[in-house]
Amino acid sequence: MKIDINYIARVEGESSVKLEIEEGKLKELRLNIWEPPRFFEGFLVGRKFDEVPDIVARICGICPVSHMTTAIRAMENAFGFTPSTEVKKIRKILALSQILSSHLAHLYVLALPDFFRLNSVVEMLPRFDKEIKRFLRLKEAANSITALFGGRALHPVSMVVGGFTKVPSKADTEKAAKELESLHGDALETLKMASELKCPALENNAEFVALTGKGEYAINGGMISSTKGLDIKEHEYTSYFIEGEVPYSNAKRTIIKGRGSFMAGALSRINLGFDNLLPDAKKASEDIGFKGGGNPFLNNLAQAVELVHAFQECAALLRGLSLKSVKNYFADFKVREGAGSAVTEAPRGMLYHYYEIDRSGIITKANIVTLTAHNFLNLEESLKELVTENIDKPEDELILLCEMLVRAYDPCFSCSVH
Amino acid sequence: MGCSYFFAYVHKQVPEVLASFDFVFIKLLSRKGTPEGPFDIALVEGAITEAWQVDELKMIREQSKKLFAIGSCAVIGGIPAIKATMPELEVEKRVYKNLSSIHSIKPHAVDTYVKVDGYIRGCPPAERDLYEALTAVLTGRKPDFPEYSVCIECKLKGNTCILIAENMPCMGPVTNAGCGALCPSMNRACYSCFGPMKQTNAPALAKKFKAMGISRDDVIRKFTEFGADTIEFRKAVETYED
Repeated sequence: MKIDINYIARVEGESSVKLEIEEGKLKELRLNIWEPPRFFEGFLVGRKFDEVPDIVARICGICPVSHMTTAIRAMENAFGFTPSTEVKKIRKILALSQILSSHLAHLYVLALPDFFRLNSVVEMLPRFDKEIKRFLRLKEAANSITALFGGRALHPVSMVVGGFTKVPSKADTEKAAKELESLHGDALETLKMASELKCPALENNAEFVALTGKGEYAINGGMISSTKGLDIKEHEYTSYFIEGEVPYSNAKRTIIKGRGSFMAGALSRINLGFDNLLPDAKKASEDIGFKGGGNPFLNNLAQAVELVHAFQECAALLRGLSLKSVKNYFADFKVREGAGSAVTEAPRGMLYHYYEIDRSGIITKANIVTLTAHNFLNLEESLKELVTENIDKPEDELILLCEMLVRAYDPCFSCSVH
Repeated sequence: MGCSYFFAYVHKQVPEVLASFDFVFIKLLSRKGTPEGPFDIALVEGAITEAWQVDELKMIREQSKKLFAIGSCAVIGGIPAIKATMPELEVEKRVYKNLSSIHSIKPHAVDTYVKVDGYIRGCPPAERDLYEALTAVLTGRKPDFPEYSVCIECKLKGNTCILIAENMPCMGPVTNAGCGALCPSMNRACYSCFGPMKQTNAPALAKKFKAMGISRDDVIRKFTEFGADTIEFRKAVETYED
C-alpha cells in the first residue's frame, strides 16, 4: 500500500510525506520538502553587511527577529564588536516576544484542531470561542511587544548592526510590562489546555540539542549542548555539525558528525534548560508532572511551558531597562575584513548563521542552517517509528497521526529552503 | 514567506472576517482544502520561481472573480528577485552542489503571468490594504489603495525629512506608501520594502544619491533590494550606469 500525503497542511511551507507499506511492514518513508528554493545564501554574496538583517528577515514571516538577530550577532562577531548589556536585553525581549507569537500560533492554530478531529481553527468556532479569544488576546500582546521596539510586529526596522535606531519611552515599556504581567493567568490556562491534550505514544532516543547558559534560559547565544554530552562554543558549530543535500528534497539535512540525527526546539530547550526556567514556569510545569521527555509530541507541551516563562521574563526585562538615552542603544563599530558566526534559539529551535565579509563590508560568503534542517532526519526517523507502531490503523488515522507528528515538530519548510 | 499567516493580519477583526468569508483553500490554516474553484477572491502570495507555479497561477486566475497579489514578492518580485541581478546559475551553485533536481526559473511578480485586480503591497503587507481589498469585494466597489509615496505619509506625521536634513539615503520619495513612513519615524532611511510607486522618477533619486557621494554599487543595491524586477527601479539602475 502506498500513501502519499501530498501536502501537509497547517505547517509553514510546502512538503509531503510518501510512504509504502508491504505485508504489514513499512518499506519506505520520505519527507519531501518540495517548496521551491530561494537561494538566500547565493544572492547575499555581493550585498552589503548593513542590508543583510533586512534581507534575511524575509526568510520567514514567523521568526524574522531570529534571522535578523543571528545575522547581526554573526556580523558583529566578524567585526570584533561587543554590544552593550542594554542592547542585549532588548534583543532578548524581541526574541521572547517572537517566541510567544510563534508558539501561540503553533499551539492554537496549527496543532490544536487535530486533537478534536477538526480540519482548522475556523471549525473550532463557536465551540471553542473562549480558547480562540484567549489566543487572540495573548497574540495581540506578544505582537505589540515586537512592534513597540521594532516599529512593526513583522520585519522590525530598528534592529541594526551595532544596536537599535530608536527605543521606546520608559512609560511605554512600563505599560507593556504591566500588560504582560496581567496575562499570566491566560498563559497558565494555555499550559493547562496543552497538558490535557492526549498525546500519542512514541519513544524517541534522539539526542536533544539546544543552547544553554549559566543561570539563564539561553536564547541569543550560549553553549551548544546536548543530552548526550555535547558542550561546544558557537563558533565550533561546523566542527560538529554537517549539512548535506538530499536527492528528494529541496531542503538540506544536518547531522552531528559521527553520531547522526538529533532534535532541536522547545522540547530540547526544556530537556536541557529546565532548571533555568523562572520559578513560576518551573512550578507550573512540575504541577502538571512535566519536566521534559523523549516523546516528540511533547514539544507542544514544552512550548506551552515556555509561554509561561517568556511572558514573565519579557516583563521582567522590560522593567529592568534604563532607556535614559537612545545613545546607549547604538555604538559605532569598525567594518573590517573577517568571518563570523552565531547561533540563537529561534522559536522553533536552533538557528545558525555564518558570514565572510571583505574590507568594504561586502558579503563574500553566507551560510544559514535553520531548525528544520537540524530536525529533518530525526523527524523522518520519528515518522518511521510512528508508522511502524501504528501500522494496523486505518489509512485515514495513520495519515492524521503522521501529520500530527510533523506539526508537533513545528517545522518551517519555508525557512528550510531559504 | 508568511503572508499566508492570515491570522497575523486580521486578528483584530477575526469574527467579522470569519462571518463574511469561507476559506476554501489555505494550506497554512486548514486540512483538506482544494484548489478547485470557483473562488470569489484569490489572494496570491510569493514570487513565481518554478514553471509549475505558472500553471497553477493561471488555473487559479481562471477560477477567480477577483485576484489580488499580496506582499512584495507577489506584487513586485521582492527579495527573491535579487537573484536575477546576478548570473543565476552561479547563485544556484553557491547553494547546491547537485543542481539536477533544482528547476528554478527567473523570479517574477504575479502580474508577469496573469491579470491582477489589485495589489496589497508591502513586506509585510499593509493590514489596511488587505481590509480594503476584502471590504471592496463585499460591497461591490473598486478598492482604493494608496497611490502616492512614503514622503506624503512622512509629511502627514510631521517628521523632519531625513534625506534633506540628515543626508540619509532614504528611498521614501520613490516608494509606495502604506507603511506609515515607518523607517523615517524610527531614525533610519526607508529601504523600499513596499516597492516603487507606479511611474515614479527613480533616476532623479539615483542622481541625488550620487551627488551625496554614495558609490555606484551602493546606489544600485538600494534600487535592487526590493525593486530588482520593476521597470521603475531598473530605470534608476540603467541611468546610473550611463
